Amino acid sequence: MIQEQAQQALSHAVHPGSNVFVRILEWLPLPEWVPGWVITLGGVVIGMSIFLAVMSVLVMFCVWLERKVSGHIQCRTGPMYAGGWHGWAQSIADGVKLLLKEDTIPNEADRTLFWIAPAIVLGSIFGAMVAMPLSYDWWFGRMDLGVFAILALSSTTTIGVVMAGWASNSKWSLYGAMREAAQVVAYEIPLGLSLLAPLFVLGTFSLNEASAMQSGWFGMKWAIFTNPFLIPAFMIYWIAALAETKRAPFDLPEAESELVAGFMTEYSGIRWSFFFFEEYAAMLLMSVLAAFFWFGGFESPLTGALRASGVEETSLLFSVVCFGTVMIKGFVGIFLMMWMRWTLPRVRIDQVMTMGYKYLTPLALFCVLGAACWEALQHLIFS
Amino acid sequence: MVRVNRYFQDIWDTLKSTMIGMRITGKYLLRKPITVQYPDQRLPIPDRYRGIHYLEQEKCIDCLACARACPIDCIEMDAIRHGKELEWVSFTLDYQKCMFCELCVYPCPKDCIHMGTEFALVVEDRSELNYDLLSFKGMAVDARVRMREAEEKKKIKEAAKAAKAAEKAADENDGEKGSGSDGGGEV
Repeated sequence: MIQEQAQQALSHAVHPGSNVFVRILEWLPLPEWVPGWVITLGGVVIGMSIFLAVMSVLVMFCVWLERKVSGHIQCRTGPMYAGGWHGWAQSIADGVKLLLKEDTIPNEADRTLFWIAPAIVLGSIFGAMVAMPLSYDWWFGRMDLGVFAILALSSTTTIGVVMAGWASNSKWSLYGAMREAAQVVAYEIPLGLSLLAPLFVLGTFSLNEASAMQSGWFGMKWAIFTNPFLIPAFMIYWIAALAETKRAPFDLPEAESELVAGFMTEYSGIRWSFFFFEEYAAMLLMSVLAAFFWFGGFESPLTGALRASGVEETSLLFSVVCFGTVMIKGFVGIFLMMWMRWTLPRVRIDQVMTMGYKYLTPLALFCVLGAACWEALQHLIFS
Repeated sequence: MVRVNRYFQDIWDTLKSTMIGMRITGKYLLRKPITVQYPDQRLPIPDRYRGIHYLEQEKCIDCLACARACPIDCIEMDAIRHGKELEWVSFTLDYQKCMFCELCVYPCPKDCIHMGTEFALVVEDRSELNYDLLSFKGMAVDARVRMREAEEKKKIKEAAKAAKAAEKAADENDGEKGSGSDGGGEV
């Protein structure tokens, strides 16, 4: 039955072919002599530029949202002036300020590493985003092992953070970097293990296929509703994701009250904003990943209705609805992250380690086992 | 066994306390913000707040009582007297020195200097903190009118006086002439 389900899902969800922009370039009436590799390369370049721009705008929106949410949780209003309506342009103004700020490098810093670190951090997180499809039809790199790509690339940011901490030649930075390293090593395990549980249920590593597998029940057959063990698995994933993205209560690498700004202490201007961007991009990525593997990905009653009314999955309308659905789910996750940030105080490093190794890892294993047993039972009973 | 119980108790406590905390912050999130948009909106300030002074310049008689009462000599004033009317040159209060003690307010015989409710001393340069409390320099319009009226009255009076004097002189002259002619008649 699972095989059939998978077959059915694949038949209507995954289009063979290429990147959406390559397809557009192929569709354009280009002269004959343009070689194929130019079209492919052009499609990739254009696609990546647009993708980066869209993601940057979303990240800027996240920053604004964070300030508003934190403000309202503290009975303040947050930014109100820039741009007019509730300070919507605050992030743009901040970006301009950061661009114009002096970019200082400490004399004793390791210049090369200091330069490379923010690039690695930002590059790896945006690299991980490539594996994230924007709709069934819009994607940039089709990866059958999308989860692996995302987990691998998003944890590469740690290398950049450690590099930044080491290269800064500052006590605070080094402390921050070491904390980050310890924290990420501890929380990669529960993160990966808790993701295994929905992988058992959905039977795929590809985000597109995972979403397609949840398309039943009029778009509400979300993985979390089909298997009770996915609920604790999601909680564990969420805690681990908070630690991975260095968000409060796990913001020990930054820890502004103890370590000035942690690994970012010596950074300023645009280089600092790269780290800032990375944090919010990672939040978006982690929330969207949760949306794909627990909360139906592109699937919602709206997509179900569209499918029932016979709208093709390759059509523009369907793609827009898919993108909107997954972004709404992602932003709900981001809101939850912000809410938790402004609720919980920062935990100590030994508490972080205890939680990671003694609690989350065994519980994640238990969830994986439970989810697998539940699926096996279902398989035995219903087939 | 106790340790096992403790382990699960920890998990339960963590979840519970997180939920309680998030419920509290969630309530605050939905509450109306208590802050105001400061430069545009202001919270009400108590009446007896001692802020930047304001001066009822028309009442002031340049008696220097407030300047003498000031413990740190931050009030300086200068005015030219035109009879009863005053022509103001300056009335400055140096807010770099002022400690808002309100001692300048009590000795004023005309009750013309008060503590205001404005507290923002926002300037770009220190010299700008030497506030001029005068709303106008020179003379007040009504004071000028009063002075002009007084001058006109004075002029009329003087003119009348002059006329009287001239009349008197003319009378005396007439008398002299008369006596002269008399004398001439005699000659």
